[in-house]
Amino acid sequence: MRAMKKKKLIRQSIIYILVALLLIFVLFPFAWMVSIALKTPEEQFRVPPTLLPSHFTLQNFLTLSQHPVFIYFFLNSILIASTTTLLVVFVTIFCAYSFSRLKFPGRTSLLSIIILTQLFPLAAIIVPIYIIMSRVGLINTHFSLIIAYLSFTVPISVWLLRGFIQGIPPELEEAAMVDGCGRLQAFIKIILPLSRPGIAATAAYIFFVSWQEFMFALTFITDEYKRTLTVGILDFVGQYTTDWGSLMAASVCICLPVFVLFLILQKQLITGLTRGALKA
Amino acid sequence: MAGYGLIMPTLILLGIIVFYPLIHTFYLSFFDTSLVLPKPEFIGLQGYGKIIKSKILWIVIKNSFIWTVIVVIFQFIIGLASAILLNQKFKGRALARAIVILPWVTPGVIVAMVWRLMYHPQLGLLNRFLFDLGLIKNYVAWLGYPNTALYAVIISAIWKGFPFSTIMYLAALQTVPQELYEAANLDGANRWQNFFRITIPQIMPVIRVTLLLTSILTFNYFELMYVMTKGGPGKSSHIFPTYIYQIAFVQFRFGPASRYAVISFLLLLIFALIYIGELHKRKVFE
Repeated sequence: MRAMKKKKLIRQSIIYILVALLLIFVLFPFAWMVSIALKTPEEQFRVPPTLLPSHFTLQNFLTLSQHPVFIYFFLNSILIASTTTLLVVFVTIFCAYSFSRLKFPGRTSLLSIIILTQLFPLAAIIVPIYIIMSRVGLINTHFSLIIAYLSFTVPISVWLLRGFIQGIPPELEEAAMVDGCGRLQAFIKIILPLSRPGIAATAAYIFFVSWQEFMFALTFITDEYKRTLTVGILDFVGQYTTDWGSLMAASVCICLPVFVLFLILQKQLITGLTRGALKA
Repeated sequence: MAGYGLIMPTLILLGIIVFYPLIHTFYLSFFDTSLVLPKPEFIGLQGYGKIIKSKILWIVIKNSFIWTVIVVIFQFIIGLASAILLNQKFKGRALARAIVILPWVTPGVIVAMVWRLMYHPQLGLLNRFLFDLGLIKNYVAWLGYPNTALYAVIISAIWKGFPFSTIMYLAALQTVPQELYEAANLDGANRWQNFFRITIPQIMPVIRVTLLLTSILTFNYFELMYVMTKGGPGKSSHIFPTYIYQIAFVQFRFGPASRYAVISFLLLLIFALIYIGELHKRKVFE
């Protein structure tokens, strides 16, 4: 009995040690990011570098708040990511409903084509999209980015929403339809309210991928004040010196909203993302 | 009929922003364009002939291959190991699970900048540690040498992306029926036997899908390499997305850029079709 207890204790300790190692591996770069953000400008450039600041300062965050265009980057990113999210969810919810509830010939092939497009390299379509946007005079506008973002957010949105709708028992709708509801009414009264957590998770995911998009934002936008955060922060990288303190302070500000969003919705998000792979 | 009606807007949208541009890329790849030559000139397959004979295509293919294979293998190993660990019972498990996912939800540009600083020849912590441990005699510019740049970015890509594999495998482990282990334990099987005879076969379908998916995502991943090395020094760390970007939007040579885009698309299509086939087998689309 005692031997078994001892064995269990050893096993438990090994687990804690391994978890600690994993967390150090994961958190180390974040610790470094926060540390640089809290160091004074002189200390950032001290060689050899140290993991912890010798004294903490909020100076970098202050510099950031006085930066002439950083607030624009932030607003642009919020505007673009949220417009994309609203647009995508609105268009794809009907498509997702159709794929999960209605039977029609060719639906499995059509769905697999939609999923296939999600795997195409964006680098393979960026040139024509750029040419088209220039021709119609939309280059260097936020609208061009929103359109371009549809190309990779629409397929994943269809996929996630369809999974969430499939999780709702069809009997509920059938019962409502027996009671005299039309399909549309059943959709509005049953599907929409019940899939709210799923819609929230999907929306969060779309927001998150649009928020961190880089390639299109780098290519399509030329005016500084129209830039999004991901491209905007490269402003701190100078040709000779880089303002690492402001850069890392900005990074903290960019990460926080997505982390919070993610922590709130992680359960639904993980369910949605793993569903396809798990189905055996 | 309603079924088609409801998916029509999505299909039309994808037609305009994905399929039409894709076809246009194929079309452009038969032309030569450059800043000095604003009017595209039809050259047919000649352009492809030139590319295949050039050295750089093979560098890009080789780098893309090394990049994808190493990143995917390590994401698999770390992803599976961490999933098994996070599937054990211990205090603070929910918090640990949430923390582990953070690198994956951090925007790529930020990951790139933090790691750039980590690898910095004077200011980077990596040099400090390796120096203190006596592993290096001088501080090294890890991103500045053709021999190390690609691998340095690979390490940061593994860090950034492995939580996706963790999520997948953790979800898969939770679906393995416990009775299987109980039965095996009665037969006197040890942990390793259980792992190889029960766990691995049970989660094999998820492993296959995840490997394919991470390969595709890694192959297409642009910003990490772009922000950390811009394909340099020289052209030593270019992968397909960065090189296409370079010729298209730095040199404005849309013809050659489209040819590289077509080649990268075709290489990827093989994996994408296997992936879709894999999902079809499991009736995921029904």
